[in-house]
Amino acid sequence: MEFCILSIIRQGEVYPSDLVEKMKSANLHILEGTLYPLLTRLKNAGVLTYRWVESNSGPPRKYFVMTDQGLQFYHELELTWNELAAAVSSLTQPLTSTNNS
Amino acid sequence: MKKVININFQGRVIPIEESAYEMLKVYTDSLRRCFANEEGRDEIINDIESRIAELFGEALKKGSVCITDSQVNTIIDNMGRPEELNQDEPGMNAGAASQNQSATSGTAQTLPPLRDKIFRDNNDKILGGVCGGLAHYLKVDPAIIRVAFALATIGWGTGVVLYILLWVILPSRSLTGVSSSKRLYRNPDEKVIAGVASGIASYFDIAVWVPRLIFALPLVTGILSSFFNHYFHWLHNNESFSRIVFSSFGGTLLVIYAVLWAIIPEAKTATEKLEMRGEKVDLNSIKNTIQEDLQGFKARAEKWGKDVSEKAQQMGEEVSQLGEEVSQSVKDTTTSVVNEARPMAQSGISRLANAIGILFKAFFMFIGGVISLALLAALVAILFAGASVFPLKDFVLDSAPQQVLAWLFLLLFFGIPIIAFITAFVRRLMGVKSGNNYLGYTFAGLWVIGLVSGVFLLAGFSKHFEVKAREKQEYVIAQPTSGKLLVTVADSEISTTTISSGIKVSGLLRIDGDSLQLSNISVHVEKSSDSLFHVTGTRLSNGKDGEEARKNLVNIQYGFTQQDSVLKLNRGIHLPPNAKFRNQQLVLTIQVPVGKKIQIDRSVRNRFFFINIAENEDGDDWSDFDSKNNWRTGVEYEMTQEGLKRTGNTDNPKSWDTDNDEENSPMQDSRKSRRQLEKELEKKNQELDEIKKELEKPAEPKKVALHTVPSDKRGFFYWLQSANSNSAVIREDKVAAAAYIFYHKLI
Repeated sequence: MEFCILSIIRQGEVYPSDLVEKMKSANLHILEGTLYPLLTRLKNAGVLTYRWVESNSGPPRKYFVMTDQGLQFYHELELTWNELAAAVSSLTQPLTSTNNS
Repeated sequence: MKKVININFQGRVIPIEESAYEMLKVYTDSLRRCFANEEGRDEIINDIESRIAELFGEALKKGSVCITDSQVNTIIDNMGRPEELNQDEPGMNAGAASQNQSATSGTAQTLPPLRDKIFRDNNDKILGGVCGGLAHYLKVDPAIIRVAFALATIGWGTGVVLYILLWVILPSRSLTGVSSSKRLYRNPDEKVIAGVASGIASYFDIAVWVPRLIFALPLVTGILSSFFNHYFHWLHNNESFSRIVFSSFGGTLLVIYAVLWAIIPEAKTATEKLEMRGEKVDLNSIKNTIQEDLQGFKARAEKWGKDVSEKAQQMGEEVSQLGEEVSQSVKDTTTSVVNEARPMAQSGISRLANAIGILFKAFFMFIGGVISLALLAALVAILFAGASVFPLKDFVLDSAPQQVLAWLFLLLFFGIPIIAFITAFVRRLMGVKSGNNYLGYTFAGLWVIGLVSGVFLLAGFSKHFEVKAREKQEYVIAQPTSGKLLVTVADSEISTTTISSGIKVSGLLRIDGDSLQLSNISVHVEKSSDSLFHVTGTRLSNGKDGEEARKNLVNIQYGFTQQDSVLKLNRGIHLPPNAKFRNQQLVLTIQVPVGKKIQIDRSVRNRFFFINIAENEDGDDWSDFDSKNNWRTGVEYEMTQEGLKRTGNTDNPKSWDTDNDEENSPMQDSRKSRRQLEKELEKKNQELDEIKKELEKPAEPKKVALHTVPSDKRGFFYWLQSANSNSAVIREDKVAAAAYIFYHKLI
């Protein structure tokens, strides 16, 4: 979950409700109420940081950006994810190959 | 039309409906609690609120006049409900826990898993929260645990010990409620006694009357079986067995009901009601439930037709409860839901007292129910008895108006209460409330009519008894050769108690096909004026006037047979088939000459029932017949100058001859010889002495003297001496001495 979020944030600074939209478009549904604590936690852990952006249609918004430490964390997550993906595909692949042949 | 208020939300002024504001407030409060353990909680909440404010701004921009309920609801949905947020967290923690220490150090602050240790539940407790904690650990409904404890307590008493043990051992925590599962509650909305049955019905999703019937079944079968026992006697052999089965079964079930009443909590808040039905608990469903309750309540209030002030008051309470419940429900879904119904300050002892009080209440209600059921049973029994007496109807009543009155009386006077009972019983069982009081008034009115007709009936009936006529006639008998006359009742006519051949009504009256036999006969013994035995019969009858009385009298037929010295009397006087009951009586006077003996057999007492309904105004020889008889059955008497005297040959040995002598009229007393009295007195004294001796005798040898003899070695020896046997027994210690005494029953 955090991996997905971080990858979105990595692409550019984003504010929470945008994040929710992007996740939705990738077919990952997440509640805003879940998101906010998560972001705050990541921010407290130093993975993310934010800046305030004023807006005229409402209260100022927080825009989240990844920090360097965050980037490090992100890479680690990426590694783990790749490993996981490889493991799963290696398990499922013999089935598909036998089906094909 | 809703009230709109302005709020200062995140630095902006937002017009919002009051109810929507309430919802929002509740939501933010719940979030605050939800993230109570989070680091940066305030920041999170601030973020969320900003987002909400943003959404408000958009809505207002789009043209809404103010923020409405539905908008707030939608926003909350999108944000996520409190319980959803909570459940997500552990899931996310699990994923990240293995990854990054720094990340997980933050996440470790979230709710620690409480399910691998047993605690006592501070929030869900009746006595000490033991069952609640156990239930939380085992992830089952606490009510099930409680029932198990209750069973253990009733069965072997170990439940109490176990409970106390656990209470001491387990630490207490405020545990989160197992709110997603279906919980067993009592349903307060559909209750007949305490809502146990309907709560069970909701839990199992069955119709309400099914568990109610199950609970009521043993009572019903008990009553039915007792009826059968009484009227058909076929269960005679197994009577005690079936009684034990039914009564114990019924009793057990009622105990179970009472126990369940104490254990199962009442679903008072809307949240609990939802849990009772097993629906998902969130704000929407809570709102729906409350609305349903309100509507249902309204309908009921209208149906009952209560006055307006009451209605308004109750509705006001409901509305305030609504607000209360909404806030409570959000709080409760994360902590424990059940206990909001009970004040938290209740100590364990008062809870126990509460439970006991409920048990007592159940017990008294049970008693009340039993009494009313007993009354009902009595009425039904009367009805049955009446049915069996039915053939007598023609005998007793005579004219058409009387018959009508009689019918009215029976049906209304007895039938109405029965119907009323049955109606009330069925109503309670089905949970249906009676819509109006007219039914009650109607019943009462009909019952009064029945009563009045009964009175009229009685008046009309007694008119037929105003005049009494009598006629004497002498019967011819042969003188007994032995000088002693034995009077018995012929029993050849008595048939066994089968219902098929004629109807027997316990002795007094027999209807055999088309002949009537009335055993209204009395036997008197007198001194004969000559030296012969004489038997005269006096027929008596009542009637509306003199002429009718005489007519009725003439219809009385009686006879007897004689076998040497045994007089076999007919069992009853015969009446023509269409005769009406007019207190027809027969008095047989047997005149015994001096010096001769007479004995009245026990069959006479058993088979003749002399009743005298009406007063008679004629002269004083009636007093003879009115007084009780001066003889006892089974006793031989000899006629002397002064009257009957017992000869001492009796069938039944008894030392006292009390009853008849004491019941004699003054005239008879004066006839008794003084000698006889003196003799009796002497006999009495003798007996008294004898009894005294009996009492005193066994006392003596039982005297025991208890001496203590000091011993040089240790303690004392106890020296028991028996008074009459002069033997001494030494016992070393008090206990053994006492045991010796007990054993030999010396004291």
